[in-house]
Amino acid sequence: MKAGLHSPQTLMIRKLDSIFPLSAEERQALQGLPVQVTLFKADQDIVRIGDRPSQCCVLLEGFTQVYKLTAEGKRQIMALHVPGDIPDLQSLHLKVLDNSVATICPCTLGFIQHEDMRRVCERYPRIAAAFWRETLVDASIFREWLLNIGRREAYTRLAHFLCEFLVRLKVVGLVEDDTFDLPITQVELADAIATSNVHVNRVLQAMRANGLIQTRGTQVIVPDWERLKEEGEFDPLYLHLQQEGDA
Amino acid sequence: MSLTHQPVRVNTGFEEEGVLVFDERHRLVAVLVRLSDRNEVAPGQWFLEAGFGPLSGASYPAFADLDVAQEWISRRLALRV
Repeated sequence: MKAGLHSPQTLMIRKLDSIFPLSAEERQALQGLPVQVTLFKADQDIVRIGDRPSQCCVLLEGFTQVYKLTAEGKRQIMALHVPGDIPDLQSLHLKVLDNSVATICPCTLGFIQHEDMRRVCERYPRIAAAFWRETLVDASIFREWLLNIGRREAYTRLAHFLCEFLVRLKVVGLVEDDTFDLPITQVELADAIATSNVHVNRVLQAMRANGLIQTRGTQVIVPDWERLKEEGEFDPLYLHLQQEGDA
Repeated sequence: MSLTHQPVRVNTGFEEEGVLVFDERHRLVAVLVRLSDRNEVAPGQWFLEAGFGPLSGASYPAFADLDVAQEWISRRLALRV
């Protein structure tokens, strides 16, 4: 279950493969990408808005957040990324970053130089297509989040958020017995689903009381997946998984 | 700015004790709720459950007691008038 046991490239390949099946040769090419592995503490910026990165990072262990701040300093978390994701993949084609990416918990990241990624994309057009598809799926997730935080009740919103997480973590093998690790604070959850930490706490308590979830430290247990899906109005279509992402 | 308040029962699903806060022209500007002791974020504190006019869209602060809450509301209202 520990992501750290894989080679740095394996998780990325597994993730890409889940949305765009790759040939053995293409996997081999990705496996050969030079990756510089770096450890980050919790709540650390990896890249900031306005940066001009010359590399992308693959998340190997932990969770990261994409965020922006209002002038007043209020934070909106626009996306969370799970191991195997490339949270700043857009920097390969957009020179200046328009959002920041920070760690939620201690993370292991693998940095790949843009020039190495470009080289592999030129040689293997289907890998370029896979990366393109990955950014399109990211955009689809942003659209779903917009609907979720803009139009759903807090209870449904959080249930939807948990459903998405469970499915995405399952893809990279990080769910065991309907249990996954979610080391996120209630403040961060509030900033992700656009409500207050007080509301998040009420909703979590209600979900626990209704038997929708159980929590043990940072672990979330989902005893009844069908029920959680129903409560969260969750349809995994927008994740565009090749194999149906039904948990 | 002198504010007044009036006790009210609020159904948040978890709490009931609340106050309506009025400005000097007796207009409702906020609803404060005393959070349940079981709340894990700010047990027993006063929470700005709803704000109107200049207080709408405010971030969601919680306060140690009613006086602190009203002071904060006064300051926010004074900024916008």
